[in-house]
Amino acid sequence: MLTFTLKRLLSGVVLLFAVATATFFLAYAAIPDPTLGLLGSAATPEAQAALAAKIGTDRPVLVQYIDWLANMVQGDFGTSWKNFQPVGKQIGLKLPVTLSVVIVSILLSALLGGVLGVIAGLRPNTWIDKVVKAGAVILFALPGFWVALVLVMTFAVQLKWFPAVGFVQPSESIPGWLQSITLPAISLALGAIVMIAEQLRNAIIQADSQDYMRTLRSRGLPGWRIVVHLLRNSAPASLTILALMFVGLLSGAIIVEQIFALPGIGPLTLSSSQNGDIPMLLGITVITVIFVVVINFLLDILLGWVNPKARVK
Amino acid sequence: MKKATIAAVITASALVLTACSGGTSTDSGTDAAGGDAVKALSIGNFLDITSWDPALADIGFDGPYLSAIYDPLLTVDGDGQPQPALATDWEVSDDFKTITMNLRTDAEFSNGEAFNADVAVQSLDYLKAGVRSQEAFQKVESFEAVDEDTIAIHLTQRDDTILYFMGLGRSYMMAPEAMTAGTLAETPVGSGPYTLGDASIPGAEYHFDKVAGHWASADFPFDPLTVTPLSDATAMLNGMEGGQFNLIYGDKTGMDMAPDNDWNVSSGLSMWVGLQFSDRVGATEMGKPLGDVRVRQALNYAFDGQQMVDTIGQGVGVATNQVFPAETAGYVKALNDIHKPSMDKAKALLAEAGYADGFDVTMPMAPPFQPWQAIVEQTFGELGIRVTFKETDFMQYMSVAPEYPMFVAVIAMDANPVATVERQIAKPQWYNPNPGIAEFPEIQKQIDVVFSAEPGDAQTAEIEKLNTLVTEQAFFSVWSQSTNTYISTSDFTVTPVVGMMFPTLRQIKVVG
Repeated sequence: MLTFTLKRLLSGVVLLFAVATATFFLAYAAIPDPTLGLLGSAATPEAQAALAAKIGTDRPVLVQYIDWLANMVQGDFGTSWKNFQPVGKQIGLKLPVTLSVVIVSILLSALLGGVLGVIAGLRPNTWIDKVVKAGAVILFALPGFWVALVLVMTFAVQLKWFPAVGFVQPSESIPGWLQSITLPAISLALGAIVMIAEQLRNAIIQADSQDYMRTLRSRGLPGWRIVVHLLRNSAPASLTILALMFVGLLSGAIIVEQIFALPGIGPLTLSSSQNGDIPMLLGITVITVIFVVVINFLLDILLGWVNPKARVK
Repeated sequence: MKKATIAAVITASALVLTACSGGTSTDSGTDAAGGDAVKALSIGNFLDITSWDPALADIGFDGPYLSAIYDPLLTVDGDGQPQPALATDWEVSDDFKTITMNLRTDAEFSNGEAFNADVAVQSLDYLKAGVRSQEAFQKVESFEAVDEDTIAIHLTQRDDTILYFMGLGRSYMMAPEAMTAGTLAETPVGSGPYTLGDASIPGAEYHFDKVAGHWASADFPFDPLTVTPLSDATAMLNGMEGGQFNLIYGDKTGMDMAPDNDWNVSSGLSMWVGLQFSDRVGATEMGKPLGDVRVRQALNYAFDGQQMVDTIGQGVGVATNQVFPAETAGYVKALNDIHKPSMDKAKALLAEAGYADGFDVTMPMAPPFQPWQAIVEQTFGELGIRVTFKETDFMQYMSVAPEYPMFVAVIAMDANPVATVERQIAKPQWYNPNPGIAEFPEIQKQIDVVFSAEPGDAQTAEIEKLNTLVTEQAFFSVWSQSTNTYISTSDFTVTPVVGMMFPTLRQIKVVG
C-alpha cells in the first residue's frame, strides 16, 4: 500500500509540474504584451513601460518562468497584475465560495443519487426504476445554465424565497449562507444526481446477477446484508463517477457562479482572462490541478481499500 | 492516474481557453447626525474595483468605489466641466503654465490626519508617479504648496486637459501615513464621505460606513451604501428585479423592462464604433489603397450607421461619422451629411481611385467585435474588397490591431474636446498608432491652432474646424456612437459623464 501511495503522489507532482509549465508558456504565448490590456485603451507608452518594469515583463520569459516556479514551490503565487494584491490571498478568498457550492452539490448528488440508484437497482423495471431512468434522460439533457436560469427566475425573482445574486459568508450567517448557495448547488447537482443514480442502478443490477450473490442468497442471509454486499461491489464505479463529477463541477461552477453572481473562482478566472492577469490565471490553474490530483489520489486510495485488486493493477 | 491526467489537462485547457476570450431595502431614515433624510443605495456595478490605491485604479468603473472613500480635488459635471470639491476654486495663469488652487481646510482623513496643501502636494506627487494615474500629469513639472490652503501646479507646457482628467478621477487625496506605508491598495484611507465597512467581501460586495460630519454630507444621502460588482447582465437584472439592487449598469433588456417596473433610465454616450484606419497615408503595401482619400471616403459612404444602430445596437446609440461625442463641444451636426450612406457613391469613388475591382485586405477579429463582422464582410463584398479576418483574442487585439491597415474599432470617447483632439487625432495611441498628421499639413496646422487658441468658445470653434477637416479627409469610418445605460429605482437619478464608464456617487441623486 505504501509503494502504491508513493507512486500516486509522485505522478501527481509530475502532472502538476507539467501542467503548470505548459500553462505558463501558453499564457505568455496568448498574451505577449499584457500592459496594454491591463492599462486600458488610454495607455501611454510611458505608462506601459512603467507597468512592464513594475510587473517584470520587461525580462526574458525564461527568467520570469524560473522566478515564478521558484516562488510557487515555496507557496508564493506572486502578485496580481491588475490590483497588485497577492494572488494566493485572493484565491484563498474565492475558493471557499466555489468549494462550498461544489461540496454541497456533491453531497446532494451522492445522497439523492445514491438513494435513487439503490431503490431503482433493487427494483429493476418497476415504475420507480422507470421514473429514475426517464428523469435521468430528461435532466441530463437539460443545459445546466438553463436550469439555473429557470431556478433563479422562479424561486428568486418571482417567489423571492432565495436571493437572486450574491453570497453570504457562513461566518456571517449560516441560514443566509444556506440560502445563498441553495439554488446554485441544486443547479449544479441535478445532472450529477441522475448520473450517479443511473450508474449505481446499473452496477447493482449487474452485481445482483453474479453467482456469489445467488450463493449468498441461498445461504439465507438477511436482506440488509445482501444490500451491503451489493453496495460494496457496486460502489467503485459510482465513486469514480463522483470523483470525476467533482472535477466537472469545478468547471461547471464557473457558469453557475456567473449566473448567481457568486464571488468564486469562476468570475475571478473570467475577469483575470479578460484583464490578462497572467499570475492570477496561473495561480488558479495550479490550485485547480492540485485539487484534481488530490481528489484522484484520494479516489485511488479509496478504491484500493475497497477493492485490493486495484492496488496491483 | 490516467483519469487524473485527463481531467487535469481538460481543466487546465479550459482555464487557458478562457484566457483567450458582483440586497438591501430602500428604507428611508435620517443620517447618523440626525440630519438630512437618507436612503439605502445598493449599486450593481459592472466590474470590481481595480485597486483601492487611486494611483493604480482605473477611471472606468471605479467611480462609485473610490468616490465613497476618497475626496477629489476636482470633480466633473455631466458635461465634463471641472467642478469644485476639495479645491474650492482655481486660476490658470496667463501663460497657461501655472494652475493655482485654493483648498478646503475642513476635511479630515479617516485615520485622523488633516488635509492641507502639503498633503495635497504629496498626493499629487504620488499620483504623478502612479502606473495608471500618471496619464493625467504628463505635462506637470512640479506641484507646490504655496501656503496651508493653496497649491500651484507648474506645467512644462500648456495643458488643456489636466483639470478634466483630475475631475474624472485623477485627483483623489490620500492620507499621508497610508501613502508612505504603501498600504492603500489593501486598506484605503481617504477623507471621503464613507469608510470601507468590515462586512465587505472583496470581489463580492462592498459595504460602506457613513462618515459623520463629512464636509459634503448632504451630497451623499445614501445609508447604508453597498456596491456589488457583477459583470453578468442577466444576474444584474435578476438582482434588480429581486429587490437586491436599486441602481445597476444596464442594457437594452433592462431599458425595455423599466416602464413596467417604474425604473428610471439614464444613458450617456460612451464609445464610437466603426473602422479605424491605421495607415491613412498608404505607407504599407496592404494599406496602400487607404492612402487615397477617395478610398477612405468610399468606406464612409458604404456603411449605414443608422441601420447598424437599429439592428446591432437594438436601437440604442447615435448614427454619426464623427469621433466627437454627439451634441458636445466639437461635434458639428452638419458633418453627418458629408458621407450620407450611398453604395453607389462608394463604388464610384473606389473606381475613380483605381479600385473598381476592390482590393485585398487582412483585418484582425476578436469576440467583442464579432457583432460587426458579418456586416463588414457583406459591405466589403459589395465593394469587391476581399477581406481576410485573422482571429485573435481581445487582449491580443489591442496589440496586433495597429499592425493592420484598418480594423473594427470600439473606442472610448471623452467629454473634453481637447482630450478628443489629443487622444483620437493628434497623439499616437494603440488605436491610432500612426496619426500620419505630417502628411496632412492643413490638419497639422489646425491642431496647432486648437492647442494655442483661447480656451472657451474660440477654442471650440477651432476644434469644430478641425473636426470638419478630419471628417472630410475621412480619418475614420465612424458608424455610430454607443451609450452606457444606468437603471435605477424611481428613488434615484444618475447623470452620465462621457469618459466615465460608471459615474461617481456625486452623479447619483435622490429624487425629491
